Amino acid sequence: MAAPAGWASLCEKFRSSLSLSNVESKKDPENEPYRSKYGARELLEEIRQLLGSEEAAEAEGAPAGEAAALRAVRLAVVEYELGVNHTDTEELSAGEEHLLKCTRLLERHRLSRDCVSLYIQAQNNLGILWSERGEIKTAQTYLESAEALYNQYMKENGNPPLDPNEHFMAEEEKLTDQERSKRFEKAYTHTLYYLAQVYQHLEMIEKAAQYCHTTLKRQLEYSGYYPVEWALNAATLSQYYLTKQCFMESRHCLAAANVIFSQAGQVPSSEDNETEQDQQDLRQRKAEIARCWIKYCLTLLQSARKSLEDNIGELDPDRQSELKAQRKKEEDEKEKGRKKAVLFGTSDLCDSILATEEKVSCICPLDFQEAREVFLVGQNYVHEAKEFFQFDGYVTDHIEIVQDHSALFKVLAFFEEDYERRCKMHKRRIDMLEPMYVDLNPQYYLLISRQLQFELADTYYEMMDLKVAIGNRLEELDSHTRKKINSLAQLAVKYYELFLDSLRNPDKIFPEKLEDDVLRPAMVAKFHIARLYGKLITSDGKKQLENMQTSLEYYTFLVDYCEKHPEAVQAIETELELSKEMVGLLPTRMERLKAKLSPFS
Amino acid sequence: DLIIQVALKNAEGGRIIVEVDEKVAKVRNIKVDNRLEGPWDTTEKIVAFGFDFCYWSVDPEDPKYASQEVVFQDLGTSVLSGAFKGYNICLFAYGQTGSGKTYTMMGTPGIFSREDDYSEQPASCRVEVSFLEIYNERVRDLLKQSNQKKPYTLRVREHPETGPYVQGESEFLHGITAATHVHDASSRSHAIFTIQYTQAILENNLPSEIASKINLVDLAGSERADPSYCKDRITEGANINKSLVTLGIVISTLAQNSQMFSSCQSINSITSEGDNHASSHSPGSVSGTRRQAYIPYRDSILTWLLKDSLGGNSKTIMIATISPASSSYNETMSTLRYASNAKNIINKPRVNEDANVKLIRELREEIDRLKTMLMSFELRNSSPSWSDDRDGNLTELVLQNEMKVGIFY
Repeated sequence: MAAPAGWASLCEKFRSSLSLSNVESKKDPENEPYRSKYGARELLEEIRQLLGSEEAAEAEGAPAGEAAALRAVRLAVVEYELGVNHTDTEELSAGEEHLLKCTRLLERHRLSRDCVSLYIQAQNNLGILWSERGEIKTAQTYLESAEALYNQYMKENGNPPLDPNEHFMAEEEKLTDQERSKRFEKAYTHTLYYLAQVYQHLEMIEKAAQYCHTTLKRQLEYSGYYPVEWALNAATLSQYYLTKQCFMESRHCLAAANVIFSQAGQVPSSEDNETEQDQQDLRQRKAEIARCWIKYCLTLLQSARKSLEDNIGELDPDRQSELKAQRKKEEDEKEKGRKKAVLFGTSDLCDSILATEEKVSCICPLDFQEAREVFLVGQNYVHEAKEFFQFDGYVTDHIEIVQDHSALFKVLAFFEEDYERRCKMHKRRIDMLEPMYVDLNPQYYLLISRQLQFELADTYYEMMDLKVAIGNRLEELDSHTRKKINSLAQLAVKYYELFLDSLRNPDKIFPEKLEDDVLRPAMVAKFHIARLYGKLITSDGKKQLENMQTSLEYYTFLVDYCEKHPEAVQAIETELELSKEMVGLLPTRMERLKAKLSPFS
Repeated sequence: DLIIQVALKNAEGGRIIVEVDEKVAKVRNIKVDNRLEGPWDTTEKIVAFGFDFCYWSVDPEDPKYASQEVVFQDLGTSVLSGAFKGYNICLFAYGQTGSGKTYTMMGTPGIFSREDDYSEQPASCRVEVSFLEIYNERVRDLLKQSNQKKPYTLRVREHPETGPYVQGESEFLHGITAATHVHDASSRSHAIFTIQYTQAILENNLPSEIASKINLVDLAGSERADPSYCKDRITEGANINKSLVTLGIVISTLAQNSQMFSSCQSINSITSEGDNHASSHSPGSVSGTRRQAYIPYRDSILTWLLKDSLGGNSKTIMIATISPASSSYNETMSTLRYASNAKNIINKPRVNEDANVKLIRELREEIDRLKTMLMSFELRNSSPSWSDDRDGNLTELVLQNEMKVGIFY
């Protein structure tokens, strides 16, 4: 055992090595990136020399002499630091050797207060090391074993364990139990975070999400987070849950994001002169969280529509009452059980999060009233997001938000029984999309411009359909309604044509062969135009004949294109089949009309 | 439209392991694996990659040697002729640090300067240029003596009429020579040279304009320059991010992947209803349906500035530069792999179209009606008891019905 003076200098050496490794190394010049790390390594090697050879330690370790055990732990700390050092400097094999030596030294005592933290950290680093070698399964083994060790220790002992660095500290410097516990929990949080990544790489997505969730949760519990960053991460995780249709979890993440984000506003940043840039970043983050909420409301409504619609996309009343009856029975117990597992925060925080949650449901709305509530929440977030993402300056983002707003109206219209009111909702969509489309230069925003053309066309089509349905309820089709139907149909045609024109090359020629990404939309546009010409109402027989002729031409385009490019068939099988039928039937039909128009010829 | 070129530079550092044969680049793996695997794993492997053009620019004495002039003739001129027609063009150089990207783009004389020389055209036109450097997701104007203290402070914005732009960036009309900074951190930064080209023309006797934009992009060394991702966005291979600061990256990757998976699924479910979509989505591209989730991680500034050049009516050319030396084997392989997957790097917004079940059902019914009608007509024609008069009425009747039906079923 080293003399007290020697021991003090040993501790000093250790401290210097840590400072070199963790602080100085960040300032190393580009051409000597590992200078401080190598410096730290030298010091560590010296310490190891002074502690005596490992063989000696192991031999003496056997009779469990206290001094020997102490030396073994200290040696293990040095081996651990050397392992991390070599891994950091891209010497994986050497790093692995040191880390394994560390775990070997600790093996028998790994459940003791002295060793457990170090052992877990060594296994964490072995996990990282194997992931760098691309052997993710091996990494998984180490990390899962670290996880198990934590659980076993907490179950059997649970006292705050020593931090590895304490083995090189004088008695008076030793940490408080509170600090010990904080560091230990942090190491374990890292284990979970690494496991999240391992599961992600192994495509065990659900498990990965669960571990990310737990990591976030532990950051809150141990106050190891920046509010803005945390809020954004929680909001992003909510989007994962959305794609899995887990609305309760998604809402919880979003509500927590709101609550934690508001902390960022309250606590002024440490520098008193917050720059304008920071302010702007903060506003942007807030708007981004709002956008996550929009998607939440939208997806919830769309998922409800999916469960309620019949085979032509209308609300199915039988299904509605069935789902309503079912909902009463199951909702409570099932949700509560799941909820426990994901709850963020402790008492106060948790209360504010739950209060935020109450502002919007996480259960699929089943009638207009319920749908409207979700819609309104979504719409509020649309306004909030648009405040930051303005059209001028954030064109793409702004349009995406408005597209979501339009989608909110569209799904709300599904729940609306009254056709007139439904039609007005679609008109709102037109009113928000059309001006943006007009102001957009397609040279820079071609693809978005196409999206808008298509959506506008579809919306006009939808409105026309509704007017037809309204007209069919009337005794007689009045000329006003007829005009309305025709003008809506023509507007739909106009936007489908604009879309098709956008596919022309700079010489204004329509491509011989359509690119994969536009093949189906282009065909659908042609098909819809054909249909629209078939729906135009006119009492003028000649005009009608013309419309039929145009319709025929568009159906023919589909048929001809697929003959020339058979690989296109699979993209539009149904449309092609129907177009073929129409191409067969329309000419005879037109002959008949012609005959009727001039019965004496 | 994607053209890929492999230019080979710098043979220093060991044996030459790359061969160029017409449009194919072959790489030999002579790396003897002296790790655990043992001696039997020393077999030579040759991997071949096919491209539109391959150039060998190692030794000027070599008969196969391709000079800057040759490269420009093949690529530069096609860039210009595309721009005259009104295409947006984007030309990338991508590759390992030291493999000659910057030489190809800006060397003696490289594509940047040649493009300039050739852009004199008789038609009445306006040429504006800008030159930016992106370093660490920050932008600096290379045509302007910038504030030395805060060189990288420009912000990127989008204008509805004039597209993506950099706030406060200088634009110079052609002919003005500006003192340029040396693009000195080229291994770690991207440089974008943009030529905005506007031609005045007469269309149907009306004055009109053809505008096009050429972006010449010198990417940072491939070690750091995946243009489709933010800095640190993807972790190489399966490496674990050590710091909790990167939790956001992990979560957003998770959300993104699950989104891609679920939107593929929704397309399949539509397919099963007999409404067949082409569901062959190449990995890496976001598929057809509307984005179901919002993932609040920004595209990199580079992707953002170039997005108008990366889709739709634009041509993208990628120059991948590699070093033929055996010491660069790993980098060379990853550059070539990247280049051959380059089509997938672009996150294109797509048109969302709904399943038109309603329309299809309606049309089916109309077809049935038409069939019945025409069949009954044929029957009538063969039976003389039907008069022309009655037939006419029937048509009327059908016409009226047709208008009314369609919504009731």
